Amino acid sequence: MVVCSVVVRRLLAAAPAAPRHVFTGLRWVTSTPVKFNERKYTDKHEWVQVDGKIGTIGITHYAQDALGDVVYAQLPDPGQEFSQMDECGALESVKAASELYCPVSGKIVSKNTEVEDTPGLINKSCYEKGWLFKLELSKLHELDGLMDEAQYEKFLKTDDH
Amino acid sequence: MQPLLRYWAAGLIRYDKAYKIQKLLASRHQTQKAQNVILLVEHPPVYTIGIRTNPYPIDEEERLRRLGADFHRTNRGGLITFHGPGQLVAYPIVNLKELNLGVRSYVCLIEKAVMRTCRHFGVDSVRTSKEPNETGVWVSNAKICAIGVHASRFITSHGLALNCNTELSWYRHIVPCGLVGKEVTSLTKLLGQNVTVQQVAPVLVRAFCDELNCTASNFTHEEQQEILKEIL
Repeated sequence: MVVCSVVVRRLLAAAPAAPRHVFTGLRWVTSTPVKFNERKYTDKHEWVQVDGKIGTIGITHYAQDALGDVVYAQLPDPGQEFSQMDECGALESVKAASELYCPVSGKIVSKNTEVEDTPGLINKSCYEKGWLFKLELSKLHELDGLMDEAQYEKFLKTDDH
Repeated sequence: MQPLLRYWAAGLIRYDKAYKIQKLLASRHQTQKAQNVILLVEHPPVYTIGIRTNPYPIDEEERLRRLGADFHRTNRGGLITFHGPGQLVAYPIVNLKELNLGVRSYVCLIEKAVMRTCRHFGVDSVRTSKEPNETGVWVSNAKICAIGVHASRFITSHGLALNCNTELSWYRHIVPCGLVGKEVTSLTKLLGQNVTVQQVAPVLVRAFCDELNCTASNFTHEEQQEILKEIL
C-alpha cells in the first residue's frame, strides 16, 4: 500500500516516541529510537546501556542473587570482538563458573578493573559500580531485539526465566 | 510420572577422556537428544584447577606432574583439587532452566545429595559452610567432598569429588581448594572400615534422584558404546 509522504511526516510528528515506520522506496523500515541511557535486557539476565555507539554491560539484580557472592570475574579484554550471544567471560561464585554472554555484537573498549579487584561490587551494585565491560556496538539494530525494563520485569514473572 | 535422571558408572577413566564425554553429553542438550545425566567415574591421579589460574603458574604444574600425577586447567569454579582412585567423581550434566534452579541453588542441591549419601554410611556430622570459598561438604575441620562446576546456557558440567577410600597423602602437595589450615578426609578414614566407590555410587545416584524428584535410569551398553565411539 502506497502512502503519501506528507501523511507519513504528519504521522511521525504526532507520535515521536513510538516506533517509526519510514517509507524508503519499496520497503518499510522500523526502528525504535533508544532513549538516552535506557537499559535493555537479555533473557540471560544481562543489561546493556548505550551512549552513542558505546554500550556498558552488566548483570541484573536477579542474576547476581541467583549466583550468590561473586568471588572472581573473568572479563573480556579490550580489542576482543564478539558476535551477539557469544560467550565472552565468566563469573565465579560458590565454586560455580557461570558464562557471560555478549548481549550485542561489538569490540571491547574497556573492562571494569575495579570489579576484577573487588568482585563483590557485582552483588552490591550490579547496575552502577558493578558494570562489567564496555564495547563499541557494530550492529546497533540488535538493540531492537532486546527487552526494555517493563518487558524484562514481565519476563521475570513468567516460568521461562 | 517422574522425569528421568540417566546415570552412567563408567569406571576408571582418564580426566580428559571423561571431559570429552561431558562435552558430548552437554552438547546433546542443544538438540533433540536432551537428557539430564550424571556421569560417575574414578580418575587416575590428577590435579585440576579452575578459572582462577593466577596461583598456579607453569612451574607449579611441573612440580605436581613430577609427583606422577596428571594436571588439567579447566573452566570450572573452585581452586586446586586432586582426583584419584578411591574417589567417586560425579559429573551431573543437567539443564538448570528445566529444573528451575539457579547456580547457587544447584550447588546447594549437590551438597544436600552428598550429605544424604554420607549419612547413609553412618557419617552423621556432615555439614556445609556459608563462606563462599568453603563450598563443599565437611566433617568438622576436614573436607570430605569438593565441588566445582560450570554452567553455560543453563547446562552444567564438572561436579563433585567424594573421598571414599582415596589415598589422602596426594593432598599434602597442594593447599586443597586454596584453604590453608583445613584438612581432607574420606568415608573410610572416618568410619574405620573400607568404603569403596562401587558401594557409594548407587547411593549418590539415589540421593540426587531424591533431591531432584527424578527416577534413576541406567545408560544401556549400546548408549555407552555410541558415546565412546563418538569421542574417538
